[in-house]
Amino acid sequence: MNVLVILTLLLLVLMTAIGGKKGVRSFVALFVNFIVLLITVLIMTDPNANPIILTLLACIVISSNTLFFINSINIKTKIAFVATILTTVILLLFIQFITEQSMVQGFGDEEIEGLTIFSFYLGLDFVKVAASVVIMSTIGAVADIAISTSSPMFEFYRHNPSISRRDLFLAGMKIGRDLLASSANTLFFAFFGGYLALLVRFKDLSYSWGQMVNAKVFSAEMITIFCAGVGVAVIIPVTALLSTLYLTTKKE
Amino acid sequence: MMDLLKRITRRQLVLLLLIGGAVMASLIFVYHNQSFYQQPIAKVVESTIISEQEVVDSQGNQDVIYQQQLLAELMNGADKGALIELVNEFAGSYVYHPEFQVGDQLFVTIDQVNDTERLTGGIIDVKRDHYLLMMALLFAFVLSAVGRRQGILAVISLIINAVLMSLGLNVYIQSANIDLLVIMGVVVLIMTIVSLLLISGFKHQTYAAIVATLLGTFLLLVITYAVLKLTNEQGLRFEEMEFLTRPPQAIFMAGVLVGALGAVMDIAVTISSALFSLYDKNYAIADQDLKASGRVIGQDIMGTMTNILFFAYVSGTIPTLLLYFMNGAPLGFTLSMNLSLELTRALAGGIGIVLTIPISLYTTLFFINRKRARL
Repeated sequence: MNVLVILTLLLLVLMTAIGGKKGVRSFVALFVNFIVLLITVLIMTDPNANPIILTLLACIVISSNTLFFINSINIKTKIAFVATILTTVILLLFIQFITEQSMVQGFGDEEIEGLTIFSFYLGLDFVKVAASVVIMSTIGAVADIAISTSSPMFEFYRHNPSISRRDLFLAGMKIGRDLLASSANTLFFAFFGGYLALLVRFKDLSYSWGQMVNAKVFSAEMITIFCAGVGVAVIIPVTALLSTLYLTTKKE
Repeated sequence: MMDLLKRITRRQLVLLLLIGGAVMASLIFVYHNQSFYQQPIAKVVESTIISEQEVVDSQGNQDVIYQQQLLAELMNGADKGALIELVNEFAGSYVYHPEFQVGDQLFVTIDQVNDTERLTGGIIDVKRDHYLLMMALLFAFVLSAVGRRQGILAVISLIINAVLMSLGLNVYIQSANIDLLVIMGVVVLIMTIVSLLLISGFKHQTYAAIVATLLGTFLLLVITYAVLKLTNEQGLRFEEMEFLTRPPQAIFMAGVLVGALGAVMDIAVTISSALFSLYDKNYAIADQDLKASGRVIGQDIMGTMTNILFFAYVSGTIPTLLLYFMNGAPLGFTLSMNLSLELTRALAGGIGIVLTIPISLYTTLFFINRKRARL
């Protein structure tokens, strides 16, 4: 039997046993997200398609899948959805700018080694592809913080309907802040785990400090970590603001 | 603004000035650190495109290859201040080499000097340290501006964990016969304790979360290891692992362990602090009620957490997937070559996340009942 098949079945059984119906829905959502990611990559192979626009479309599908399918369509998830997309747009533009400046797109010397049989002249803008990678790796965490902030804010407002606009916003910020450190940690460790081979390589080949920080792969991965951190932080005020605006304008 | 200024105490002012000073100093350093590098660094002062050539590969992919003539000024070493001529070849897709602009700083080699007046040389890489520093500062600024105390803790925990990982790897490199998994196991133990104490402080719920995290990651490791052994690693393409200098299995398992740790900690903290806050509101709350609440919370977070891990792992393969597809590699081959390890990581992490839900539920119950017994 294949490792992937067994692990997939194991995950399905556990999610069903522990998560019930919602567990099954979460598993299906995961599977659908994988398909969406694959289709996005397949469309991206057409050089006429703009990778940034494609990523944005993929993020819309992925976050509505995560928010509306696992949870349900209600005003809380709708606000979380709008906040996620807004944040994604801001981040995409910012990350593209950073990638362009620091020139970390495409493949580094360490990666090229194993790929020499391929033609690299593909006519595809790899600066945009690099920005797309960073956004896709954070979209899960960003959508998570959005829903985990907007949902308690509605509860909070229900219990304190006379609260002022300012106080409601600050309450939302406090809710989001409590999630920030552990969400950021989740991403940091996931990236660390993935970069372990690279770090071992740098140490094995005794790269100097200077060689390491200037290497394309290292810079690219550090920039991914930093952008992910910025992403999970920026979603908090965006969600808090949107929820506050919705709740307080409805009152008047 | 005046209001804000009045509220700042003297101590905070000193602290702010110190941080501001350190930021300024690091920025000035990173822009003037050329003399600390052994390798010659040159700054582009003039650039002209000298040729462009359209190419079509065997798959019909079209690209343009440009040649760029650069004039750059050396910024360190014996020839500091001298001009050097460089040639850069890049594709319109920037897949490997970028297009350089005036002002970019490059690591170069200097050719043996002929009789001609101008030096010539080759480009090795781009100097990126100043971008990295600016990004790091921006990251620290945004996180502390939005998250205040929590944001600063996140930054501190990133730094501490990075240092711990690096120290662990140093031990691994220097000692030939300790297994990487053992070393990473110890590092994970320390990282869990430090991160959780940082995030939620010295409280009973933190201790419960630490125990649950360690149990969860241990179980995840045992299950993954067992599946890999039972199937003889069938379907895993270790030969495709990038950056390898060591046996891949050890590095892969250690990566699974470290990669899932953050998500498992997140689950453990969420459940333990929710249950403890229910208990603090009502000391007489029944175990059954706590279990029911814990289960609902667990169901709510399991979907998003597995999703986070999945995207964090799989997105990194997009450029390589594109390379394979555009070179005409078949779908199944491309996926198994590039995704088998990432998917295993994501699935193993997902299993760890789901298992940690009941584990932290029962661990927290144990801690609550111990506290109850003492009352």
